[in-house]
Amino acid sequence: MSRCEYIPANIAIAEGAMAAGLSFFAGYPITPASDLFEYLAEKLPERGGVVVQFEDEIGSINAVIGAAWAGAKAMTATSGPGFSLMVEGLGLAIMTETPLVLVDVMRAGPSTGVPTKTTQSDVYQVRFAAHGEYSVPVLVPWSAQEAFDLAVKAFNIAEALRTPVILLTDAALAHTWERVEIKGHDEIEIVKRRPPCNPPEKFKLYEPCKDLAPRMAYFGEGYGILVESLAHDEEGYYSPNTEAYERLVRRLVAKIERNSHLIADNEEYLTRGAEYVIYAYGSTARSAYAVVKELRREGLRVGLFRPRALWPFDAEGLKKATESAKKVFVVENNLGKMVREVERVLKNKEVIPINVIDLEVPPPDKISEEIRRWL
Amino acid sequence: MRHEVLIAGRGGQGILLLGHVLGLAAAKYANLYVTGTESYGAETRGGDSRADIILCDEAEELDYVKVRHADIALFMYAEQLRRYSHLVNNRAIVFVDSSFIAREDVEEVKGNRQWLVNHKPYTNIAREELGTHRVANMVALGHLIGVTKVVPPEAIENAIRELVRPKWIELDIKAFRLGLSLR
Repeated sequence: MSRCEYIPANIAIAEGAMAAGLSFFAGYPITPASDLFEYLAEKLPERGGVVVQFEDEIGSINAVIGAAWAGAKAMTATSGPGFSLMVEGLGLAIMTETPLVLVDVMRAGPSTGVPTKTTQSDVYQVRFAAHGEYSVPVLVPWSAQEAFDLAVKAFNIAEALRTPVILLTDAALAHTWERVEIKGHDEIEIVKRRPPCNPPEKFKLYEPCKDLAPRMAYFGEGYGILVESLAHDEEGYYSPNTEAYERLVRRLVAKIERNSHLIADNEEYLTRGAEYVIYAYGSTARSAYAVVKELRREGLRVGLFRPRALWPFDAEGLKKATESAKKVFVVENNLGKMVREVERVLKNKEVIPINVIDLEVPPPDKISEEIRRWL
Repeated sequence: MRHEVLIAGRGGQGILLLGHVLGLAAAKYANLYVTGTESYGAETRGGDSRADIILCDEAEELDYVKVRHADIALFMYAEQLRRYSHLVNNRAIVFVDSSFIAREDVEEVKGNRQWLVNHKPYTNIAREELGTHRVANMVALGHLIGVTKVVPPEAIENAIRELVRPKWIELDIKAFRLGLSLR
């Protein structure tokens, strides 16, 4: 049975994760993600799940990886400084193709920065911080309701593609209270982990199915399991040769990029026939949406393109939404990050970065003032 | 229908609880879409305290998370009236706790704006009629709801019962009803 609550995005994520079947959470407290952890510490054990505080973020991410290999749907949550510590584990999860959800609640950096306040400056950190070749899905909600919905989706992608998925929010959204419809476990679509289709002697842990994602066996089920961080063949044996390595990393990347239909999800508001399109995401998109409505009232043909998945970058979706646009504004609460992707994709269009640093959320007036200079 | 409600005062006056009660009442018991944010100083008492509540009946009407053009505002202390009055619209309905805010203070900050100002000594009323200034926030909320009717009183009472610690529930509801009856 669904129920309606008045909760902030952090709690909505916790509820979404539990609705999706979360059974293990490990974490280390960090502002502004701690209340998500605290809430789960109270609620998840009531449902038979396990919540553990580890000695740090390194311990936490590795525990989550271990739990996933024991069959759990597992999650951790942190913020920029903690994410930095988790990067090594994230790389391990990518290489071993471990399904898990990593919630990152952005705060202002670098380093400890401003713990209680927001920016959107970690959109590259979440995508590129680990070393080596890889691609990782990053979902970015703009409301408490969407935080719930995308938490469910994050687990579904993780299970479908046997991959870590990052759910990216920020300090402002984390503590924005809204009405959220909390759907029950039976009211949402749940993607199940694909079990082995062969008996143990024939099963290969890294053999891809048609969609490039392998099936998964757990410890304790009789399967030989080699969770290998070194470059490996389909059985998991170390294979330091170009051919095996290239096959592996090409598949790791293609597994995400070619399945972007499972990930890409954009909201478009009045983009059809629009002369100007604003690209914005997360909490800042709320302000951009206010600006679009304001400029529309003045008769300007402005639209909003808002990705709910930041990575992989949905080039086709963006191209289509900006077909009629003369100018594309990229509004971000940072010094200009996703704008580089937009410029790369829209080579023949005028792309204008609107970088409004604001430790709260960039107010619509600041954004519209910047945009008006270009109209 | 869309309302931007700004509530501001000093830390310790129960501003954040007031905001939570209003937000919860609207979201859970009045079927409205709500965005609520809060900001407060590091001090437990005496610092700045502010709650922004945006209410509407369609999800599409929610955008920027903070109040920009309040059409309903409640100020519980003069300092916050001065600090945040620029966020209040022309023709807004404004409530001020006259225990702490003089009429001249309001006149001074409002400039040319036409406000419908309600002066009531919420804190004095709470202290004199209910024996404690600590429920002044609920007296003020009652008055705000009685005048603006943005959320039904029953929804507020449900929210108080859900949010407030048991030993304060009855007194808070009494204070809320007292506020409702203010004319």
